[in-house]
Amino acid sequence: MTDHTDGVNLDFGDDDDEVPHVDDPQFDAWLLGQAPALNSPPVTPRLAMWDAIQAAQLASADASAGRITDVRPLRRVRWFLPAAVAAALLLGIGIDRYSFSRPGQPLAKVAKAPTPSGQNANDPNKLYRLAAVQTLSQAEALLTAYRATGTSAQNAAATLQLGIWGRQVLNSTRLLMDSPAGDDPQLRALLNDLELVLAQIIRLSGAPPDTTDRQLIDRAMRDRDLLPRIQTAVPAGIAGSASDE
Amino acid sequence: METETTLTPERASLLATQRALVERAQRGDASAQRALYETHVDRIYRLAFRVTGREQLARELTQDTFVRAFASLAGYRGEASFGTWLHTIAMSVTLNEMKRRKRQAAREAPLEDALTVARSAPESDPVLRDRLAAAVAALPEGCRTVFMMHDAEGFTHEEIAAALGVTAGTSKAQLSRGRAKLRLALAEFAEEWKP
Repeated sequence: MTDHTDGVNLDFGDDDDEVPHVDDPQFDAWLLGQAPALNSPPVTPRLAMWDAIQAAQLASADASAGRITDVRPLRRVRWFLPAAVAAALLLGIGIDRYSFSRPGQPLAKVAKAPTPSGQNANDPNKLYRLAAVQTLSQAEALLTAYRATGTSAQNAAATLQLGIWGRQVLNSTRLLMDSPAGDDPQLRALLNDLELVLAQIIRLSGAPPDTTDRQLIDRAMRDRDLLPRIQTAVPAGIAGSASDE
Repeated sequence: METETTLTPERASLLATQRALVERAQRGDASAQRALYETHVDRIYRLAFRVTGREQLARELTQDTFVRAFASLAGYRGEASFGTWLHTIAMSVTLNEMKRRKRQAAREAPLEDALTVARSAPESDPVLRDRLAAAVAALPEGCRTVFMMHDAEGFTHEEIAAALGVTAGTSKAQLSRGRAKLRLALAEFAEEWKP
């Protein structure tokens, strides 16, 4: 037996396997007491989800208006984000080269993208962390926006614009991979996976919408657990606080 | 379904406030969208988590629900309450994703048991807890969804019917059928619910 909702065919199972419908108020009452513990939800991550929703909305609006080359998907980030990523990476690479010329100076290590607050502004570790947080925040916004687009013809333009945006994030990702931030095995693995998916999204852009291509990208994201890993690396609120500095 | 005549004054006032918020949101008022989000996000997220059993997936599905809802807000005509409309989108997004994952899992590996039981379950017998979780997971998808919405989240049959696009009678029948199947599956533990 099936019933229908908006685009969903609900499977209610086969009516042939009928079980006797014996009223048992005691069992029903017991079950009502047990049911709330099944898949008991944790606290709703309101703020983190709202940030992601806004990022997707802004990206979608900018894509529709053809402004994607200037898109700033995280509301508080605005124009500061691309400049901060580029500046942090360039400055960080410069400092790194300087440190190479001084034997005994330890290279910066980034286990994940932690909060940059409370550290010296000239600390190279902080610059790499800032760059990592910014790039991963951009990546999360991009992937969330990507998920919100479909394969219909009207989304072809949005896919094209996502590809342009994807190139910007890919450039930042590759700069990070070549920086000491890429020395951290965990972050490096994440950046490698991100690079692969970004390359797929970029390749998709400009082509006619294709369900198979999207399925491959979706699968790559899912198999690599990409969004959850990015979200773990960029704790809620860090991106905003980093960009506000 | 609620009608104007069956509404309490409080409920009617709440719906009027929601209508006003939706109208502002339709005109692009971001604060109205935020207010609608704050009003409904808990229930949407909890439902997504109940159905999927996965925190990250529930988060993604909740985000997708609101992104889609806000994108298609212009098409919302107010025939149902905003909450009902939102739950329809949420269930469509969630069940489609679960179907897709089930198809994929069937191709690649045995299905994971998506159900877990909190340690705080009133019944302390871990064997029974696991058996109940397994029995619920084994219910047909629609039956399980109705059971989780009604018994775990407290939705009414009218709300379930609207969200799933079925009749309230179907919802009641599926709940009854689901409970019967669970009772059968847990028969050996009958002393747990008998006085």
